Amino acid sequence: MGRVLLSRTVLVGRLAGRDLRYRPAQAAALLLVIAAATATLTLGLALHGVTSQPYQRTRAATNGPDVVAYLPVMHRPGHGSSPPAQAAAALTQAAGVTGHSGPYPLVGAVLRARGAAAPAQAEGRSQAPAPVDQPKLTAGRWVRPGGVVIERTFAGALGVGVGDRITLNGRPFTVAGIAVTAASPPYPNLCYTSGGGCHASPPDQGQHSVATSIGLIWITAPEAGRLATAADPVTSYVLNLKLSDPARAGAFARRYDAATPGRHPFGPVSVTAWPGIAAADGLLVQDEQSVLSPGAWLACLLAVASVAVLAGGRMAERTRRVGLLKAVGSTPGLVAAVLLAENLILALAAAAAGLLAGWLAAPLITNPGAGLVGSPGAPSLTLPAAGLVVAVALAVALAATFVPAVRAARTSTVSALADAARPPRRRARLIALSARLPVPLLLGLRLTARRPRRAVLTAASVAITATGVVAVLTFHATAGQKAFGGSGGLANPVYDRDEQMLAVLTIVLVTLAVLNVIVTAWATVLDARHSAALARALGATPQQVSAGVSAAQVLPALPGALLGIPLGIGLFAAASGAGTRVLAIPPAWWLAAAVLGTLAAVAGLAAIPARIGGRRPAAAILQSELA
Amino acid sequence: MSEAGGIAVVGARALRKEYGRDAGLVRAVDGVDLDVAAGETLAVMGPSGCGKSTLLHLLGGLDRPTSGELWLAGQRIDQLGERALARLRREAVGFVFQAFHLMDELTAAENVELPALLAGVPPRKARRRATGLLEQVGLADRAGFLPSALSGGQRQRVAVARALANEPLVVLADEPTGNLDSEATLDVLRLFDSLHTAGQTLVIVTHDARIAATADRLISMRDGAFIDQTLLTGGSAGNLGSLAGLEG
Amino acid sequence: MQQEVVLALLAKEPSHGYELRTRLRQALGPVGDAMNAGQIYVTLTRLEKAGLVTSEPSAGGADRPDRKVYALTPAGQQRVAGWLTEVSWPKPDLAEFHLKLVAAAAAGLADPIAIVDTQRRELLRRLRDAQRAALSEPARSVAGLLLEGIVLRLQADLRWLEACERTWTTRRDDHE
Repeated sequence: MGRVLLSRTVLVGRLAGRDLRYRPAQAAALLLVIAAATATLTLGLALHGVTSQPYQRTRAATNGPDVVAYLPVMHRPGHGSSPPAQAAAALTQAAGVTGHSGPYPLVGAVLRARGAAAPAQAEGRSQAPAPVDQPKLTAGRWVRPGGVVIERTFAGALGVGVGDRITLNGRPFTVAGIAVTAASPPYPNLCYTSGGGCHASPPDQGQHSVATSIGLIWITAPEAGRLATAADPVTSYVLNLKLSDPARAGAFARRYDAATPGRHPFGPVSVTAWPGIAAADGLLVQDEQSVLSPGAWLACLLAVASVAVLAGGRMAERTRRVGLLKAVGSTPGLVAAVLLAENLILALAAAAAGLLAGWLAAPLITNPGAGLVGSPGAPSLTLPAAGLVVAVALAVALAATFVPAVRAARTSTVSALADAARPPRRRARLIALSARLPVPLLLGLRLTARRPRRAVLTAASVAITATGVVAVLTFHATAGQKAFGGSGGLANPVYDRDEQMLAVLTIVLVTLAVLNVIVTAWATVLDARHSAALARALGATPQQVSAGVSAAQVLPALPGALLGIPLGIGLFAAASGAGTRVLAIPPAWWLAAAVLGTLAAVAGLAAIPARIGGRRPAAAILQSELA
Repeated sequence: MSEAGGIAVVGARALRKEYGRDAGLVRAVDGVDLDVAAGETLAVMGPSGCGKSTLLHLLGGLDRPTSGELWLAGQRIDQLGERALARLRREAVGFVFQAFHLMDELTAAENVELPALLAGVPPRKARRRATGLLEQVGLADRAGFLPSALSGGQRQRVAVARALANEPLVVLADEPTGNLDSEATLDVLRLFDSLHTAGQTLVIVTHDARIAATADRLISMRDGAFIDQTLLTGGSAGNLGSLAGLEG
Repeated sequence: MQQEVVLALLAKEPSHGYELRTRLRQALGPVGDAMNAGQIYVTLTRLEKAGLVTSEPSAGGADRPDRKVYALTPAGQQRVAGWLTEVSWPKPDLAEFHLKLVAAAAAGLADPIAIVDTQRRELLRRLRDAQRAALSEPARSVAGLLLEGIVLRLQADLRWLEACERTWTTRRDDHE
């Protein structure tokens, strides 16, 4: 029994390896497609890891607070502003509090940098590190006299970096550093101001609140005091608290928050618990994921379509090989084993390549300079994520083996040897119709009609790509229309982030689509080489034949591209969720350009395999068909 | 049409193979009875489309009959499942095709040892056997060549060696010289002759009378049925000189 | 034995009768085995009478034909030269068989298909013998070439017989 297994294993290995070496082009095509899909998946997983828990990472890195309290200001003539000592003491000594930092003064100021102005909130800090909520620097150094630290996303929106000069309320400062914090959501904070505090979530009805985009900066405490003017006084004091049981932060906050009905011994104190901040953070993260998930899905669908074409296509002589193996005495199981071995080798190699590519590309996207929300941590590829990617690649290999293996088992050995493909469908009416068209369309229409399933796959692939492109266009149209809450002339980092992600995903989609078109066209060329050679022998020029192959791809691509328009708009609407944005349909000429561009690209790409296939002299092809 | 005496290696009773339905019904093999004795060389001749290739495919387990019985070495094979048929094909039957059907990416030696490996013969033993068979067909020096580097006649000889890899009960050859020029045909002819002398049971389908002339028995087929049988052993030898035009 | 063949054999140099026979048998191989021994001497005598060869008794002095030395006359040489440049080919002899079939069918005396089958069997046996002989010759032997020619002719004739069978069968089926 062991001997039999050994011989068969040797055989399977040899057949698989030899076939891959002998037909490298096909192996390379499958490898590329799976690698592109795994690279996309890896990228998505790496980014997901980064964007899914930015809050948690930041919290861990900065020793973020469990509860943030905004204390009202006490004005004492002659003594300036100070925090309500009673309230502060009561909070810091309340049951369950294990640590605190602050109270720090918060001053509103107008920040001017690079010709743009934005409202900012300056938090006065000491130069020494704080025990709770010490913002983590991603560039530069901590506050010093004359040097401010800007919250990272705010800095990105402003376009400033370490060393740049800014003014606060007219006073000059230098940017000493850039940092992130877990004590409040990053810019643009949906900051519901009420009672002198900045809340992450809207307060109950009855309380007046205004939503503003405020950017957070840190400066030294004395300078914060000097910043305060009569027009822009210290708005409040922020106190960061750490609890022994973070799970009880919500209860704690409600007990002391002024918005809660009941007694408030300490006056109008606004208390927020960390889940609230995380949720506000989450709103932004949801945005990214709403872009990332559908994009990744689209990419995977495209990859599946390409694999389906490759696996189902009658790529040179696979049928004959199967017949031969069966004639010599292989069981269908062994034939399937050879196929599986080939696909597995390719899939594993592709998974490795994709993992590497995705891992290398991820930092480029989560680069802090790109303004992406995230923690200071670099995107890392966890072992489970890598395992998932490999598993997906293996699943693709299995799926790609399944159809040919089943077909191999079903086909009679004799017809497999004769390399009789599924005979092409004959559609008399189409043939008659095409007779009236110019030669390339004639050839193209007949080629399309021969393999309706492949035409459907082509249409689907183009539809998927068009969906992605139209979704991006819709995003741009919507972004162009709606300004996001009072940020003035500043770039809106939410849309910047989404834009970048969309750009990346569009590139991936387009790459996969290009691969798909080339692969499908190549399959068509191989399938039709006899007819094409015959056409040439009977007088068609090679240009006409290759135009025919292009036409055979364009004809199903047209409905696909048109279908992509409603699908793309719908996808964007679904992904952006209810409420936050009003949908704007892209202008007609954008859509027309997208459709025509897609069709032109399909035609051009399809011409490549057609041209290559047309180089072989017709006689050689026709003769080899006899052997 | 049965052969008295001798153990029948291959047998068929009322064998039928039909394609299509109603108006499109084609009776490729229409009620064939056949017995092939051990060591016998049987040739089947007929015009194209007469069903001789189909008959051979049925005998070799490459296709299933519509009805009738098929026997191989005393065992009934027309009802076997695909796996059992596969075993049959590698252990009991060796097939030689008109189009050679070698695997392009394997060398000659690897092609020949393929059935042996499938049958579970240890790789080294399989290789030894393959080398020996290639010697037997006169291609020992081409063992490491790919089929693309071999001529048509050489490829067919490799195919014959492959058919012999597992010492089959019967070698079935379907128009073995159909794609060969006259010189290559002679080589294959010699090979079949030597196989016959060695006692191998052969069933050859051909429309080349020269190949048929190497057989012990010749059956003519038309429209799926046997119509004639000629025994080529014995009978008048004839004067060769008169054949050549020499007045005797 | 064609006269010109014997003349051509003498073209190189005068030879003894037995030498000629040996050379002939070498060239013909197994085909020449059954050749009548005396055939060649009959031909030589005729040629002498026609003035194309001359003969001299050999040194031994005996008057046996195989010991005589034969030589070409100028007329004989001319004949050989002419013969070598002639473009002729052995005539096929199909008409007789063809008419046999037609007559049998017309008169209802015999089944033409049966006649064809019988002839086919005979030709196949002859093909077998000729091929056997051809295969046992070493490759590229001159004698083997002759045998191959016989084989190929028989193959061609068998092809024609197959065609005859097809046509006569169709005719019979049409009549029924």
